[in-house]
Parts: sequence; C-alpha cells; structure tokens
Amino acid sequence: MNSRRIRLAAVSFLNARPITYALDPERFEVTFTEPSVCADLLAAGQADCGLIPVASYAAQPGLRVVPGIAIAARGAVKTVLLVGAVPWPRMAEIALDDASRTSALLCKLLSRAQGFAPNYLRVDHAEAARAARGDRGALVIGDAAFDLSGYPYVYDLGAEWTRATGLPFVYAVWAGRPDALAPADIAALQRSLAAGLAARGTIARAFAEGRGGDAKIFERYLHNHIRYALGSDELAGLSEYFLRCHRAGLCERLPEIAFYETAPVRARVRRDALSAAAAGERLCDQDAINLYESAPLGELGCAADARRHALHKDGVVTYIIDRNVNYTNVCVTRCKFCNFYRPPGHPEGYVLSREVLAQKFRETVALGGVQVLLQGGLHPDLRIEWYEDLFRWIKSNFPLILHALSPAEITHIAQLEGLSVEKVLERLHAAGLDSVPGGGAEILDDAVRTEVSPLKCTTDEWLAVMRAAHQLGLPSSSTMVFGFGETSQQLTGHLGRLRTLQDQTGGFVSFFCWPFQSEGTRLKKRDDTSAARYLRVQALARLYLDNIPHFGVSWPTMGPDVGQVALRYGGNDFGSVMIEENVVSTAGAHFMMDAAAIERQIRGAGFIPRRRNNRYQYIS
Amino acid sequence: MTRFVKVREKVYAGVPLDLDDGVALFRHPNLPELGMLANQVRERMHGDRAYYNLNLHINATNVCVADCMFCSFARLKPGDPGAYTMSLEQAWGKLRERAHQPITEIHIVNGLHPDLPFEYYEELLRGLKRIRPDIHLKCFTAVEIHFFAHTFGMSYEKVLTRLREAGLGSLPGGGAEIFAPRVRRKICADKATTEEWLDVHRVAHRMGLRSNCTMLYGHIETFEERVDHMLKLRALQDETGGFQTFIPLAFHPEGNALARLPAPLGYDDLRTYAVARLVLSNVPHLKAYWIMLGLKIAQVALWFGADDIDGTVQEEKIYHMAGAHTPEALTRAQLEAAIRAAGRVPVQRDTLYNIIETPPGPSPRRLEVVA
Repeated sequence: MNSRRIRLAAVSFLNARPITYALDPERFEVTFTEPSVCADLLAAGQADCGLIPVASYAAQPGLRVVPGIAIAARGAVKTVLLVGAVPWPRMAEIALDDASRTSALLCKLLSRAQGFAPNYLRVDHAEAARAARGDRGALVIGDAAFDLSGYPYVYDLGAEWTRATGLPFVYAVWAGRPDALAPADIAALQRSLAAGLAARGTIARAFAEGRGGDAKIFERYLHNHIRYALGSDELAGLSEYFLRCHRAGLCERLPEIAFYETAPVRARVRRDALSAAAAGERLCDQDAINLYESAPLGELGCAADARRHALHKDGVVTYIIDRNVNYTNVCVTRCKFCNFYRPPGHPEGYVLSREVLAQKFRETVALGGVQVLLQGGLHPDLRIEWYEDLFRWIKSNFPLILHALSPAEITHIAQLEGLSVEKVLERLHAAGLDSVPGGGAEILDDAVRTEVSPLKCTTDEWLAVMRAAHQLGLPSSSTMVFGFGETSQQLTGHLGRLRTLQDQTGGFVSFFCWPFQSEGTRLKKRDDTSAARYLRVQALARLYLDNIPHFGVSWPTMGPDVGQVALRYGGNDFGSVMIEENVVSTAGAHFMMDAAAIERQIRGAGFIPRRRNNRYQYIS
Repeated sequence: MTRFVKVREKVYAGVPLDLDDGVALFRHPNLPELGMLANQVRERMHGDRAYYNLNLHINATNVCVADCMFCSFARLKPGDPGAYTMSLEQAWGKLRERAHQPITEIHIVNGLHPDLPFEYYEELLRGLKRIRPDIHLKCFTAVEIHFFAHTFGMSYEKVLTRLREAGLGSLPGGGAEIFAPRVRRKICADKATTEEWLDVHRVAHRMGLRSNCTMLYGHIETFEERVDHMLKLRALQDETGGFQTFIPLAFHPEGNALARLPAPLGYDDLRTYAVARLVLSNVPHLKAYWIMLGLKIAQVALWFGADDIDGTVQEEKIYHMAGAHTPEALTRAQLEAAIRAAGRVPVQRDTLYNIIETPPGPSPRRLEVVA
C-alpha cells in the first residue's frame, strides 16, 4: 500500500460514474470536475492521474494511458450534440462548449470533412445549451445534452464519426505521468471499473434522483451507448482521430499512445497449448482466446493443418453440387445485416410458385446436382401444412436431398403454429426433410444478437432446434458469422456452445465460418473482415471444435483464392458449386465457380477432389 | 531429416539456398509451414512493419515495338486501335492535377515507341521536376533503357547519365519476366535479353542508382525456372547491392496472347512469395503488389514474406469516385486499415525506403509462451 494516497482528477458527468463509482478510498483521493479542468490539474501537478479528454492527452507530451479503460462510443453517444435552428451546412457560426477540447476538435474535423467552414467561438459550459440561435449552432456536451429540447437540427457527433470512419470514438482515458501509478494501482482502477459496470442500474437511479429525469433512459445510456473498454477497435478509432487532427493541422504533435506497464503486458498461453491442440487435445477457453488473439497466423495454420490431416488422412477435399433456393424473401425479422429480405406487404416480396420451383429443380438435376438447400425469410402467413405439402411434392418428384429450413425458420413455424420445435421437426422429417442447414447462428451470444438481429431466434432457441433435429437423427451443419464487433470471449463462447451440444448429440457434420458482408446493409460496422482474420478464425475453430468432423471453406465470401489457401488452415471441404445464391451476393460477395474450377482449386492446393452428399459421403 | 527440415536448417544458419532447395520449397505441401519460415526471416528483417508509399503511375505511351505474348497494354504502331501517346503537357498534367497531394514518387513505365526522340523522355522528367522539385522519379525499366541505348546509339551509362541529369532517381524493376532462355524465346523474344536486362541494372547500381527487380510468374515457366530467375538476381545483388525490392508479378491472362492459360491461384501466389523471401535473401524488401494480387491475398502475403504493399496506385479511379473527400486521404486510410487488419504496423516510406511517417496505433499483440 502506498504511504500516501494517489490524487485522481475525474469527470463529474454521468458517463464517468461507472469508472469512479467503486474507487478504493484508501488508495485513491478523487477530485470531481469538468473534463478540461481534469487535464489542467494534471498539468499543474495537482493530480497524479486524470480522466482526461483525449485531446488534452495529445497536448501534454509524456503522459501514459491506463490500459483497458475508456469513455467511448461506437455510433450515437447522446451527450456530444451539435444543435441549431438551421441545418449544419447552413451554420455560419458554431459555439463550442469549452468543457472539452476533444469534442470541439471533433466538431471542426467533421465540419471540414464535409466542406463546411463556419466560424467558431468558445462559450462557457453552462452557456452552451442556450448559445444556438439564428445561423449559430452550438456544441453541447455532457449531462447538459440530456435536457436539450426544441432545436430542429440535432447532430450526434459520435454517430457522425462512426458513420465517417466505421470506428468507435474515444472521449476520455485515464492518463498520468509515467511514475504516478504502479501495476497494483492499474489493477485497482480496472477492478473499480468492473464493479462500477455491474452497478450501472444503481448509478442511473441515483443520478435520476439527484437531478430528475427517467432512470431507465440513463441506464440505457450507460448500457447501450457508452463503451468502457479500450480495446483494439477503440485504439484504432483513437489513432484515426489523432491522425486526422494532425493532418488537418488541428493538433501540432502526432501523439503516440503510450501505456502504463502492467504485469503481464503480453498474452500468456500454456507452453504446449498449440501443440497439444494440434495433436487433438481439447483446448480450454482461455487458451483458445489467447491463441486467437496472439498466435502468429503461420503457427495457427500449421496446427490446424495437422488436425485436418489427422481427421482426413486420405488427402481428399470434398465439394457438393447443389442449388440454393430461397422460396420467399418475405421476412418479419429485419436483421440489419441482411440485404435480401422484404417486409410483409412490400411490392418486391415473393413466394416461389411450384412451376418456378420445378424448373429450378429440373435444372439442378440436369447439372448433376444432388441436393437442394431450401431456405427463406420468416414469412408470417406460410403454415406448416404448406411446408409439408412442398416437401412431399419435392421428394416424390425429384431425386434431390432436401437440406432445408434454418433454426430461425423452424422456431418461427413452431411459434406460428403453437407447436414445440420437436413436433415441427418430426412432421417436417416425416414429410421428407433430410438435414438442417446451420445458418442464422451468426454469433451465438445474445448481447451480439440483440444488436444485429433482435427479432431473430435467440441463442437458446437456435441450439434447441439443433438439439431436437439431432435427436430425430437429422444431421445438420453449423456456422459462425464473425465481424460484428464481437469480443474474443463472445467468439470463443460461440464455439464453446457448439462443442458442448456436439458432445451431447454428435449431430453436427460440418462447420463453416465467414466474415460478415456489409455492403449495402444497414449494419455499418468496420470490424476486421480481412482474409488474414478469416484464416485465423477458421484455424482456431478447427483446433477448438475437436468433435465436428468436416470444415468447409467459405469461397463465396472470401474469393476462390483465399478459399483455396483456407484448405491449409483447417478446411477439408470446398462447399458447393452453387447454381444459385441470393443472400450474400446481395451484400457484396460476387464469386461464382463451376465444378471444373473448384476441382482445379482443390488440386492446386495438393488435394484430391471428390463429390459428396449432405452427410459428407463420397459419391464420385 | 526431411528435405524441408534440411532447407530450414540452412535458412536458420544463414546459408544461401541453391536451386534444389528452392524447388523443394515450391514442392513442399505444407503451405502454412512454408509461410512460417518465410515469416521468421521477414520478421527478423522488418519486425511488424509493412511499408507503403504514396505514388502516382504515368504510362506516357502504350505504343511498343516489342510483341510480348503476356501483354494486354501495348499497341504495335501509333494509330492502332487503342494506341495512345501523351504530349508532354498531358503527361505533366497528370502530376499538376495532384501536385498539392503528399505523393512522394512518380512511377513511369512506357511502351518502346519507335518514333519519339530521346529529348521527349528528358523533357518529360525535367517538366515533372519543375512542377514538384522534391518528387522522386522512378522511371523506365531496363528494357526501355536498353531500347534507348540501341535506338539512339548510346551506352547504357550515357543514357542513364543524361536521364539522371534530367531528374531520374531510380529504376523500376519491370521487364525481367523469366530469365530462362526457353521461356524468353517463347513469350518475349524481341526485347532485351537476360544479360542485357541484368547489365542495365549493373551499370545503374555502379552509378549509384537504386533499382527494383521483378519476376512474371504463373504462365509457362517451371518451378526450376522461377528459382533460377531468383538466383540470377541474387548473384547480381551479391555483386552490386543495388536492388531494393523484389516484386513477383502474377500473370493475368485476359486480353493477351496467353489468354488460354489460367491465372495463378492464391496458393501459388503465397508459395511464390515465401520462396522468394527465402531464396532471394540479400534483397531487403519483398513487395506484395496489391493491384495484381488483390488486397485480400496481399494482406495474407504480409505473413508469407512480404513487407511492402506498394502504394496508392489506384489514385485516379479513387479520385473520381470519392467526390468531396480528398482522394489520397481515403486511399491512404484504406491502405493503412488493410495493413492493420492483416496484423501489421503500417509505415509510410519514400522510394528509397526512408521512413516518412509511422501513424500511431496499437501494436499487434504477440504470443508469449510461458510455462
């Protein structure tokens, strides 16, 4: 324990309270004030460490940042608002709240990027909310922004920043002189944040009691808008901000982001985790997270390739000829990442007729196809009898495997009919269903799902459908779509749920993963969806999912070349000669290949191509 | 000991690889293992850095007396459909439009035009220097220098001296194709021979000019011929030390006489980069030219030996698409984001690999193995 307490200067705004709520009074002495004053106290040596605006960090050379903690937001922040009686392009003047230099610079940066050149004047924090009139806009920050009303034009600068860059914006960090904090102090600050995050409800209620207002709104603000982690995305956002300020001449120095040392600074992993996983030993979650975040791509690939070889010694890489038929595009879920759906009643909505379906199936058979992958939107009017009739008709007229209806559709039918998913699957199975595709899993974590597809089936519902299918003897595939900004824990958590269910049922025959395709969708995220990350994720999944036999590479999203390389990062299946694909191709994936091209890719990577059915049995 | 392990031991011991070693690496079935070895060498030389530059390409004419089978750019005679030759004003205009942008290099490669006087080339360089005296001019492949020497009756040294006086800063690496005579006879019989190509670079290096070198792969050449090509470059580098960067160029089959051939696949691209890093150990940099590879494979190549991703070549297109935003900032942000997404640290360089800027950003996390 230090002989004297560490002097902290912290922001008094609501968004800082989870950070300061549980600070240990024996270790820390806290002064609460406005953001810019925190920076002044730090500069004057009257505080050892301050929760300071990032612009103040940039202006004071030699400071260190406490790792892992920030006040940040991805998208709307709610408390950094540009308001006015006229739209932004027509603001001749903007009054800047002098409480935070960071938001003032952000406002200038965003104005300039759009080609606006207003005059700026500084006003006192207390005056800012009333400073807008005529063609003068005003930047209002902090809790004052909760009470704003009556302005016809309100711009959330957090949302504007994320729209322009795809990145989160970091407003404030803990920073101090290099010798001010020891590793134990850093750990104490991080513990305090963890306790504060758990108490967000209490904090919001106390705040509402103190000043009036709706505690629910404040709680939502702390939960959904402010992000408290300083992770790689936030750091990328912070770097981008500094870089843009520097290039625009708004900050003279291009600051480095230097951290306090914590012990340990690097990821730790058991010495033998990688080689043990390569040899088929089960990976624990912590090792999986460490490998995912830190193992070099080559090492991960080698280990995954060793696993692939151990599971598929004959050097065969399979593929299937099938047709992806989307029987309807009408869907009630409105997932933000989907470009394919149309809401009920929309003029472009369709349900394919038997004539159209018959034509597609005849073509599929003529092209050597063995399977139809039948999936659609969650149509509010199609009853289970419609599916039963359709399945019976398909199975009695065409020699095709029926790989149909993802868990979201089955859950939807069960809810529509008031039946259990077991009963729905039993009836569909009796009508001809052969296997269940594993789509719609996205990330099996309800925090992620709530954000990207709130109306689609939950994690538990998705798993329940798969469990029921497996118990009926219906095999299924499994999938993961990453790149929604999920954490490493959420990603490995997804794999963990698949592995646990597979231990119980053994019904998953395959796994596919691919990065989220964002082009034209409403979900604007700039997460890492590069080929390097795809290979890393697939290799990790191959090591982690020791009980799922087949791994398909995702060339429709990554391109044939990356798909080919992925065969050496755990893949043993080249997916499908897709005679038709409608969903990811409406979101920017435009790759097509015929059987000859697929076989050439497989041979080029040193494997023997064989055609397969839905159970991965060879049929050529 | 397997063949791969033997080669790996040589790499670790710093022993130069020979033809058989290189071919064995090409035939090694374990791609990630090959990549790991190349990556170890790459990280020993460059750590986590991935270089890029801000450059502008000018191709002043596509009229070319050589008839290379792999080329979709050249037209044999002025007046042929699609043939063009820029006036000096037009070529200078390409820079003038962008003179305010922070580009540091102009890359000029042209067809072998039968009629243009030597003064055209000298004046081209002088005019660009008048617009931006600080800009580096990386111009004319060895094939063009040889053509000038032959056409205007000068020695290589005389050609290079006059161009240097006009502003030439270094030579690009194009025109090497594949050195093996069998291949050269078939795909590019009527331009500078292997010895002539190497000799131009030798003379340039002796004059203190730096240059790059290339290899066009994925058409009719064998693995042996690829490795042989790298070894010839390595021998010249041992002699002069003047090569900065090796750039493997993937053959593209559209719109040329070799269109019946398939393009090389991603697997072959990555394998070629890894072998190049290991065989061509004395050339400091290896460039993943993203225009040719595609950005996705270029990103992965940063883990297969490559440490450079070239520059903002596509500027002009981006400029027209980008509307109100400044084009170089967008392109540059995209390049930096692509490098970061690949887990590397972007470093802006000039043509001679002086570091201009290392934008701030998180360092990639690395694995630390503990007991």
